[in-house]
Amino acid sequence: MFIKDFSAISPQLTFSEEFVNGDYKIHVNNTYTVFEPSYAETIPSALLRRMGKAVRMGIGAALPLIKRNEKLDGIVIGTANGGLENCINFLNQIIDYEEGTLTPTHFVQSTPNALAGQIALMSSNTGYNVTHVNGALAFENALLDAMMFLEVRDKKSSLLLGAVEEISNYNYNIDQLAGRYKVAKVSNDKLIQTKSNGSVCGEGATMFVVSNDSANALAEIIDLKQLNFPKESDVKNKLDQFLSDNGLTYAAIDLLVLGTNGDIQFDCWYDTVKSFFPLSTDAIYYKNLIGEYRTSSAFAVYLATQLLKGELQNHPGIEGQLTKIPKTILIYNQFEGVQHSLILLKDVEL
Amino acid sequence: MNREEVKNEFKAHLITYLNLLDITIEQIKDNEPLFEGDLGLDSIDSVELIVLLDREYGIKIKNPTEGRQILIDVDTIVDYIILNRTK
Repeated sequence: MFIKDFSAISPQLTFSEEFVNGDYKIHVNNTYTVFEPSYAETIPSALLRRMGKAVRMGIGAALPLIKRNEKLDGIVIGTANGGLENCINFLNQIIDYEEGTLTPTHFVQSTPNALAGQIALMSSNTGYNVTHVNGALAFENALLDAMMFLEVRDKKSSLLLGAVEEISNYNYNIDQLAGRYKVAKVSNDKLIQTKSNGSVCGEGATMFVVSNDSANALAEIIDLKQLNFPKESDVKNKLDQFLSDNGLTYAAIDLLVLGTNGDIQFDCWYDTVKSFFPLSTDAIYYKNLIGEYRTSSAFAVYLATQLLKGELQNHPGIEGQLTKIPKTILIYNQFEGVQHSLILLKDVEL
Repeated sequence: MNREEVKNEFKAHLITYLNLLDITIEQIKDNEPLFEGDLGLDSIDSVELIVLLDREYGIKIKNPTEGRQILIDVDTIVDYIILNRTK
């Protein structure tokens, strides 16, 4: 499956060229909020006023791709929580108004498939339309769905594939009490080295146009693997099998993109996986750019695509070891040791 | 509370409940149709309006025919609020 086009609204200035040109935004609070573009010229105000942040930034990231790639055969979105703030507002209304009359907007906007539905309505796309909500593997499930959709097509086909997650202040407070986030404030340029309990909360919308046609492709997604509740030995076995299935050795991977997030409880998974590879293998991190959220691996794919294009060399926000323009990239991400994924990408020239 | 005060309070609720971005109380005309005028409200907004009247003024509109006669413009709604509010 080939990536033909991509777009991201994130806690970095990825929607414009500034991030690629070397800009690195520093976040000093433990919520890394996105930099949203102005939607006034792209989303009608009558629609915009109802949209929650997840839907708004999802559409904001998707519309430029739809404009540049008109004939899309469908829309596949991954989101763990969808419109989380609207969902919590809706649930709070049930309590506040004693299960009385409830407003429809919070409910409509909180459903995870509100984004894919709204994109379809705005672009008059009547094709395949699916939203995956499998927690920290929501994007990976969407990716797998897109790969299978395109694999069985005889003719050239393309899909809008993406992921979105928003920060809800209310939910952040609950997760903070549960120990999911760090107590002390951590600047994102120090996050990866901060070995303490918890991580930081991020958000973002990442969109791709993917196709079974290699013409003008930016990168190729070769394969992905998902693991649930693995033991350490399971990860090694699955990784062995994964590389073997794709005719690769550990040494053939040019770059590891790791989801290390500064949480001492779970970063050991990344250290373990990294230790399987030769010391000379480049490895970089990405959650210092965007924080932790369940569909953050979509941003890792965005980052990998930029790197395969030859961008982001010597970028101040790229932490880790990056000595050359990679041709083969392996993304490894896990969420609290429970849901793990491997995504393999290659340069299209290979 | 006199009629003018009720009207301004209702317009403020209207802006909040319908999340009318960049619209001020002064810009909402008293006799402009809510559903065919500049505000461009739609059927989902009509449900939001019914909830607004229930929560803020204790008015329950259950009959659709009755609703169509009330939810015309700000003037008709304010008149109905003054006559029927329970809080």
